[in-house]
Amino acid sequence: MKRIGWLWLVVSSALLASLAAETRPQYGGTLHVAMRTAVSSLDPADTGGVDSFARRSLMRLMFDTLVTMDESGRVQGWLATSWQASGPQRLQLRLRRGITFHDGNALTAEAVAASLRSANPSWNISVDSDSVTIEHDNSDSLLLAELALARNAIEKKMSDGKPSGTGPFQIAEWQPGKKLTLTTAESCWRGRPFLDAIEIEMGKNYRDQMLALESGKAEFIEVAAEQFHRVSVDGREIASSAPMELTALLFSREATSPDDKALREALAYSVERNSIRSVLLQGAGQPAGSLLPNWMTGYAFTFSAEADLNRARHAHAQTRSNPTWTLAYDPNDTVARLLAERIALNARDAGVTLQPSTNATADLRLVRIPLASANPSLALTALASATGLSVAKTKSDSVEALYASEQALLATRQIVPLFHLPASYAASARVKGWTVNRDGSWSLADAWLENRQP
Amino acid sequence: MIFRRKLLAVFALTVFLSVGGVATLVLIMTRRAFEQNEEQRTAALVAQFQREFTRQGDDIARRVGEIAASDAVSRMASAVAGPTPDLAGYFDAAKSLAESRQLDFLDLVDAHGTIISSFQSPAKFGYPESGFENLSAAAEQRAFLAQEESTDSTALGLFAVRATRGFEHPVYAIGGRRLDSTFLSTLDLPADMRALLYHNHGDRFSREWLIGPQAGNSPDAHPADRFEPLVDAVRKSNQEMTFKISWSSDQADDELFRAIPLRGLGKERPLLGILLIGASQRSYVELKRHIRASALLVGGGGIVLAILLSSWAAARVTRPVEQLARAAQEVANGNWDTRVEVPGYDEVSQLADSFNRMTSELLSHRERLVQAERVAAWRELARRLAHELKNPLFPLQLTVENLVRAREQSPEQFDEVFGESARTLLAEISNLKSIIGRFSEFSKMPQPQLQALQLNETIANVAQLFHAQLQAPGRPPIECRLELDPQLPLVDADPELLHKAISNLVLNAMDAMPLGGTLTLRSRREDGHAVVEVGDTGTGLTREERERIFTPYYTSKQHGTGLGLAIVQSVVSDHKGRISVQSESGRGTTFMIELPSSVRDARLGN
Amino acid sequence: MRIAVYNSAIPDVTANTVPRATRSILPFIFRLCFFLIVVSCLAAATDWSVPEQQLARKIVAITGPGAVSLSVENRSSLSRRDNDIVQNGLRSALEGTGLRFVKPEQSAANLTIFLSENASSYVWVAQIQQGGGAELAVVIVSTPRAAGGSSAGEAVPLSLRKTPLWAQESPILDVAVLEEGATPVHLAVLDAERVSLYRMQGGRWQQEQAMEISHARPWPRDLRGRLIPGRDHLLDVYLPGVLCHTAGSPPALSCRESDDPWPLVSGATGGNDLAVFPSAGLANGASTVVPRTAAFFAPTRNFFTGVLTPAVGKFAIVPHFYSAALVPREKYSLWLFATTDGQVHMVDGISDQTSKFGWGSDIANLKTSCGAGWQVLATGPGISADSVRAHEFPDRDPVAVSSAVEFPGAVTALWTEARSDSAVAVVRNRETGSYEAYRLAVACSQ
Repeated sequence: MKRIGWLWLVVSSALLASLAAETRPQYGGTLHVAMRTAVSSLDPADTGGVDSFARRSLMRLMFDTLVTMDESGRVQGWLATSWQASGPQRLQLRLRRGITFHDGNALTAEAVAASLRSANPSWNISVDSDSVTIEHDNSDSLLLAELALARNAIEKKMSDGKPSGTGPFQIAEWQPGKKLTLTTAESCWRGRPFLDAIEIEMGKNYRDQMLALESGKAEFIEVAAEQFHRVSVDGREIASSAPMELTALLFSREATSPDDKALREALAYSVERNSIRSVLLQGAGQPAGSLLPNWMTGYAFTFSAEADLNRARHAHAQTRSNPTWTLAYDPNDTVARLLAERIALNARDAGVTLQPSTNATADLRLVRIPLASANPSLALTALASATGLSVAKTKSDSVEALYASEQALLATRQIVPLFHLPASYAASARVKGWTVNRDGSWSLADAWLENRQP
Repeated sequence: MIFRRKLLAVFALTVFLSVGGVATLVLIMTRRAFEQNEEQRTAALVAQFQREFTRQGDDIARRVGEIAASDAVSRMASAVAGPTPDLAGYFDAAKSLAESRQLDFLDLVDAHGTIISSFQSPAKFGYPESGFENLSAAAEQRAFLAQEESTDSTALGLFAVRATRGFEHPVYAIGGRRLDSTFLSTLDLPADMRALLYHNHGDRFSREWLIGPQAGNSPDAHPADRFEPLVDAVRKSNQEMTFKISWSSDQADDELFRAIPLRGLGKERPLLGILLIGASQRSYVELKRHIRASALLVGGGGIVLAILLSSWAAARVTRPVEQLARAAQEVANGNWDTRVEVPGYDEVSQLADSFNRMTSELLSHRERLVQAERVAAWRELARRLAHELKNPLFPLQLTVENLVRAREQSPEQFDEVFGESARTLLAEISNLKSIIGRFSEFSKMPQPQLQALQLNETIANVAQLFHAQLQAPGRPPIECRLELDPQLPLVDADPELLHKAISNLVLNAMDAMPLGGTLTLRSRREDGHAVVEVGDTGTGLTREERERIFTPYYTSKQHGTGLGLAIVQSVVSDHKGRISVQSESGRGTTFMIELPSSVRDARLGN
Repeated sequence: MRIAVYNSAIPDVTANTVPRATRSILPFIFRLCFFLIVVSCLAAATDWSVPEQQLARKIVAITGPGAVSLSVENRSSLSRRDNDIVQNGLRSALEGTGLRFVKPEQSAANLTIFLSENASSYVWVAQIQQGGGAELAVVIVSTPRAAGGSSAGEAVPLSLRKTPLWAQESPILDVAVLEEGATPVHLAVLDAERVSLYRMQGGRWQQEQAMEISHARPWPRDLRGRLIPGRDHLLDVYLPGVLCHTAGSPPALSCRESDDPWPLVSGATGGNDLAVFPSAGLANGASTVVPRTAAFFAPTRNFFTGVLTPAVGKFAIVPHFYSAALVPREKYSLWLFATTDGQVHMVDGISDQTSKFGWGSDIANLKTSCGAGWQVLATGPGISADSVRAHEFPDRDPVAVSSAVEFPGAVTALWTEARSDSAVAVVRNRETGSYEAYRLAVACSQ
């Protein structure tokens, strides 16, 4: 693969999306968005909320981070204009001036520090007039990548407990897990958004979202990765992120015996990722032998994603026990059931018995984990934390150190990577100016609705 | 009455037995008819199932054929024929095809038997289709029964295989429908019949493989485990069988099941399922109960009617007999002139006629007897009169003859003789007058003037009266003993007459003890009566004397009119009392007078 | 989906802050080098020897000196030429550490090197299989990738109708050609933060000056702006709510908050607020004189409010519009307004006729010696991105008089140039994400 996959996807989706887009952005209108995730908290620092692309997207509508990561993975200033190391493991960030929160108060260094402290109680943060200084125990680049995460968006708690941000939209109505109505922030430091309001319906499955799009009830929806090519029809625009979501088999406990490890190895070798991708996922995403995608690390191809039935059988032949493992999958995820069944079929070929189940207490689970960041070190740390695995902390940012960490994680045989999938979205052709970020979230800050006269 | 009851019982029993016998016969015949009907119905259902099976099979084959001929599958076949077939886009083609043709199963398989798309197991793409040795041969066959296995379930289905035409390497469509509750519910069954399907899976019976026509075939009410013996038996024998299952103690819940083995393709024709056709016994049992209830009702009604009719008939039959019996009772009570009706000429009528003749005979006989008795009494009276009167007349005659002779032979002495003779004449005439007076008295016995009387007083008065006579000198003394019950009830009596009667008895006793003895006067209470006993220690009475003693003018004594006891009896009888005698020859005699206690006394509670 | 101009990174971010006074020149020198020279010469200029040496050392630390078999596979976006350079460099570096390359069957170790990459770096991975075992040793080195696309002004192909003027990464709002001979030699480029002056020297554009634009309020999204050469000074800069003038020499930019209307009519000034367009070869030979109509721009939006000064006939107010074009007639002028509802309003001073031509938001007029003398350029959908086509208005219906000129992305600005016979179109290149400014002129031969 001469080109990086995500680039192709972004470009191809952009091509699909760009026809007849010749008018300037128009102001006004309410955009209706449907999403699958039922986000229960709008507090960016609420670590109880499970990370999801949807949550990241919502956060970026209302809040801003100090820095962002651009398409090349480089850190760019956002609320902070510049930064510099003010000592070993001390980073000073200078704040942009003239920015106000939605409630009219100015963005001050104190407010930024308070927000960061609430999201990261372990950080030592000091302030001066227009800068904050963070003491940390990571490399500067990792800290900056962390500051670019939606959970480190700068918020200010208002007297009624609602969070107030500096983003392009502010909360008008909030029914946790059901509906969020946002209105435009007139005084946004990046300029008033074109849209007047955004109404977001949550908890809609992909099928309902597609129906809502077709019936005109929603103008912007999420698309299951495997449906990406099927939904591209006239009057609709689609786009995908870089492969940012890891689909994997996650064992509920550590491998306790050599037999256990050998069985897990047999299972890992038995899965036909390539044919599953081409058929069940309809070509979406990439087969994964590694936890992090190749576009992030550059070495993922060294972890083979090819099925090797001989090796699988060989591994199985070394075991004496032959337990039946239950494989749990999300019953609300239609492709997950097919994946689980196919993996069970593949495993059976290697002699491993898997029983697909929707029971939450299973021996292993088919999980979808959104990678936290485009920064590979941060993504791996967050992945380990989300799956309950332990990863050795390295001071080095080198690719080799990252490789060693990932290899160590995989060697535990507690997680079997399957695929890296992009986040995909579709919008009515009326919706212009929307983009899909590399981290899988969407951005509607610059979106606008074309006012088509009949 | 007893006769009528017996007759009634005989009638009722006869009716009961007849009705019962008929009801039993009807029940047996009904059962037979039902059993025949059940067999016919089950056989019809089995035939219907087989027709339905064939029809559904043809329908499935047609639908699968349509799929194989569809553009989508033809495109698939073209893609397969290409140099580097990319079949990923077809992996869910089976879903829409199967849904559009309402099939439960559909696999689209290439010529090598590799699954391109599977509706029921979408994850099986790329895997070889199992269960077919020769797909091209199967594509020419009609629909067949087969078992479909997926990762987590197994199902029984009716399948057909069809191939795309015009391709060197065709794509095979293997489609089918699940033999499940939906299929069973398509069977057109009578209301009280149902069909179940046992999917023969595994070595042992398991209730989860038993499929009912609908989900509401509540396993709680009808535990599936009850089918286990039947299923096991069919699995062993591999033949059709019939089996009755009692779901509860109520026979109406029973079901009769016919088990039909369903076999699959192949040489061994494996047993894939068992069709269980159940016929509820409810209607049969209810009809049986209805018939039984009707029989009971009819029997009971018949019996009641029979009793009514029997009692009417018995009454009609027994009335003359009863009349006869009543008449006989009357006769026994002395009403000898009782007569019964003679209604006709049957045997009872003859009996009644005979009875009437008998009573008239008896009556005439008695009249003759009474006449003979009267004659005899008159004769006795005449003899007594003659005897009584002859005794004084003889001295009178002698005296008169003395006078005559004295006038003729010794006129001097005439005067003397006359004077003496006159005294003798007067004495005898007086004697005659006395005799006549006694007879007169008897004939003139007055009606008693009843009053409440203390009997003990009367007895004591009598004893007082006779005290001197009993102790008179010149004769052997008689001891008088008084044993009076102070609790003696009052009696309604005439004191004079009663006094006379007791006096007569005391006189008789004195007469019976010429050599002296003991006279006992006793009163006692017995059964509400007052009893007076007069006993002596005289010679006693012979049996004959005892029998005739109360006959008027009878006497055992040399002197006497024989009216004394007759008078006593007359008095006692007038007081509604009774007199009896106990006597033993040589030991004495005791007369006992029983008198009813006074009404007033009775009211006083005595 | 338009890749919006306002969504790019804040351009003044650098890793280390420098005093504002010195910031004006340095970044632009850096940028100029970066876009015009460095990127085009990337392969030749990059020193691959450091990662080559690093990888060689890491490999030999595992294999030790001796005979190995080597295969190299390029899995990155390196060009064939770079690939060859790197492969040769790697071989030399490995040989320098004592390795010999033999056929696989003769080797003690099989060495496979993958030239891979991630979002920010080239990643070279060496897999070492020793002694026929199944276990693989892996060593990795990485070296940062150069960022951004590789297109620059010179790289844009020439066209008869469109002439590339300028390209840069940050959004271009307008370009004014200040001086030109056969080709432009002095340019002013307007972006969100500054006006940059470039002069062609020695065949290369050199930045002459960068004048920062000060503004108190945040810019609206889809920022627009105009550069109008002044009569007695170098430039007037019109931005939403802000008006800037240059003064002095070298020119300095002074900006103030202002809602002054933006001129809609270019052309030579005829005094009394009239614009005079010479005959330029028209049949009647008479000049065209039109009022210098201007329009107020909404300070927080991306459109004109519709208030015109002076009024066009009886129309002092028209609907909100994005752009306007003028078609003078003999006795009146026909104004075309591309309004925000996607329609075109044709206002002749007496009537307002509305039509929908399927045009985009940006239109501009040209005064030429071709055809009817006045053409209207309008954006429209192209094959893969936007296009621009010239139209004439014999009556009230447009007649296309040229074929559509395709652009490599969305047209973000289309303004008539001061000389009136050409227009500047700014395009965001879909593939590179950079902004490219073209001059559009109608050639009569067409």
